[in-house]
Amino acid sequence: MNIASVIDGHESATTALIEEGQTMTYGELGAQVTAMRAGLAALGVGKGSRVLVIGENESDFVVALMAAVGLGAQCAPIRASNPLPEVERKVATVDPNVVVLCTTAKWLDGSLESIGRQVCAVQETVAAGAKLAPAALVECDDGDTAFLLLTSGVTSHAKVAVLSHGNLDWVQQAVVGGGDGLNCEDVALGLLPLTHIFGLNVVLFATLRGGGSVVLQQRFDALRSLELIEQHGVTTISGAPGMWHRWVNTEVEGNPLSGVRRASSGAAALPIETFNQVRDRFGIEIGEGYGLTETSPVLTWSRGVKPRAGSVGRPLEGVEIVIVDPDGTPTDPGDVGEIVVRSPGVFQGYMDAPEETAQVLTDDGWFWTGDMGVFDADGFLYLVDRIKDIVIVSGFNVYPAEVESVLLEHPEVRGAIVVGAADPNTGEAVVAHVSGQVDIDELDQFCRERLSRYKCPREFHVVDELPMSATGKPLRRALRS
Amino acid sequence: MAVVRTAAHRLWDFQIEGIENIPSDGPALITPNHLSFCDSIFVPSALPRRSWAIGKSEYMDSWKTSYIFPALGMIPINRTGGKAALLALDEAAAVLDAGHLFMIYPEGTRSRSGYLHRGRTGAARLAARCGAPVIPVGHEGTLAVQPPDAPMPKPGLPVTVRFGTPMHPDDFGYPDDPRALRQFTDALMYEIAALSGQTYVHQYASSDDKPGELASLPKPKIAMPPGRATAPKLSSAEPAPIDLRRPSPVGGR
Repeated sequence: MNIASVIDGHESATTALIEEGQTMTYGELGAQVTAMRAGLAALGVGKGSRVLVIGENESDFVVALMAAVGLGAQCAPIRASNPLPEVERKVATVDPNVVVLCTTAKWLDGSLESIGRQVCAVQETVAAGAKLAPAALVECDDGDTAFLLLTSGVTSHAKVAVLSHGNLDWVQQAVVGGGDGLNCEDVALGLLPLTHIFGLNVVLFATLRGGGSVVLQQRFDALRSLELIEQHGVTTISGAPGMWHRWVNTEVEGNPLSGVRRASSGAAALPIETFNQVRDRFGIEIGEGYGLTETSPVLTWSRGVKPRAGSVGRPLEGVEIVIVDPDGTPTDPGDVGEIVVRSPGVFQGYMDAPEETAQVLTDDGWFWTGDMGVFDADGFLYLVDRIKDIVIVSGFNVYPAEVESVLLEHPEVRGAIVVGAADPNTGEAVVAHVSGQVDIDELDQFCRERLSRYKCPREFHVVDELPMSATGKPLRRALRS
Repeated sequence: MAVVRTAAHRLWDFQIEGIENIPSDGPALITPNHLSFCDSIFVPSALPRRSWAIGKSEYMDSWKTSYIFPALGMIPINRTGGKAALLALDEAAAVLDAGHLFMIYPEGTRSRSGYLHRGRTGAARLAARCGAPVIPVGHEGTLAVQPPDAPMPKPGLPVTVRFGTPMHPDDFGYPDDPRALRQFTDALMYEIAALSGQTYVHQYASSDDKPGELASLPKPKIAMPPGRATAPKLSSAEPAPIDLRRPSPVGGR
């Protein structure tokens, strides 16, 4: 098997990719991928080679990924919008045999040569490869590495997650299959970065596997997205909560999402307010899901069941999830604990980092996510917070996310980050950093009316701006003393 | 009942605080910390009206308890086994539905460590089912009066029972939030700790605990990743006591 075969077996005249108004059929895509394979093979790429592909959500990127993986190589996709030092760092981390530049990454041509690797550009390699004898799709085992994905993580330094053909294949089957599955009539919005597991596996691979089309959008522009959705009859949208928030707040006539039959959200918590706004404005109920790069990614989702506000849905069939205490004892039903999972989508480990891998993966395949969650009586999962961020006050657990959501309910509070600080009386205490025109005493009272005593912040700091990560997530570690 | 109460005041330096927190009529769930066998004498004695509780049926065999406990309103039940436990809670619910006071120990068993242990959600479940307020109770001194192996309580010592502000599970998101009962129980234990002066540990009481020492937990069902550091049982080396001076909650989550 080889997951690059998702592009095979479809009607060659049907549309695979749409990019800036140009369509590429499955036939055309297949031809480019075949040529690319030959071109890469001529550069020595084969099973086990490492190929780093630099690009954005463009057809070049898709061609390069499919060709590299199709040769049995280990593919590491990164964004061309990274500044040069970032790119160089990532290249050093992955240590590829070949670097492939897509059209958007052409600016790197020349800058990377000095690192002494083979660098090639997609279109040139396709042109060269078309003249060579074809290189066949390479048979791979389930356990063979397909992708090396850098996980940025806001709480720890970047690691490289090793994902196999089997990992991605299994999740694709779940996404495509079933009564409500993807088929050749589907048109997906390809806005989520293809360098991230959500966009890569759930949008790109799964849609192509089903024979549908992907409308590639390189940069987030809310209005442009809505235009594309309407123009190309998009039927399925996967987005991050921030995208949904922007779409629902964009001024546009009518309902551009009237043809959408499936809407998903992942990568971060979907605010209940956004869910409600999308339902009221577009008539769609977003099905939230949960997963990590390390799980390829889908673990739970709300497909096929009525979404519950604040829940990330139910486990996929075949995913085992247990909520445990710090030492591994399963908690009582309804108690919060760490989410520990086992599924065919669980990754192979972190590249060249056996110690880091040993901190999260057991010998019998259980992956400890580091996320805290709880199930309700019907088996719906709710995420609570990251385990590393828990504040322990007089022996009681306080989840910063919970305190932050209460602070955000205050009309004057624009943003809030809650962290723990050492306290001589209680071990740790809750400290809140907020931005906005707030009166601290009033905010203190506001908290006391809504939170158990031990969850109320010991102190408040009002700031102009809160530190954020590149992906828009609040940076708690920047505020810890 | 009156006899027992009078005796309690005569034989011990018995102080009661916060009695105004007990509603004068209607149901309420009384939830005290549990350190000594004689808790079941002192707490009901402090109440302004009659209360019921679940008692181990083995207690009823002793001459001491077969008179005193019924006088205190004890419903004896054999506490082993699921069905028996369910029956006991049904009986408890009936008592609350009839508008009476019912006492239950959220820790589920005596604390042998001296710490206040993680609460079981049964009390919250019961209160939510019957729509009854929950009165947190913290007492001090009962352990000195009757330590675990002492056959009789020692007179002349001080015992204080403190009643806190009533709490309601509905204020914690019940029944919509799946965490509501656990959140309520944690908040309840926080109040009990503030009233009793004990240090709290987020671990259930075990018969293997010793004074000041927690038993190591049974073998986990899910293997831990080999590289993970051993999980700490307590939040810090010396669990810190709770600030008693902060005001009681109005409501909360």
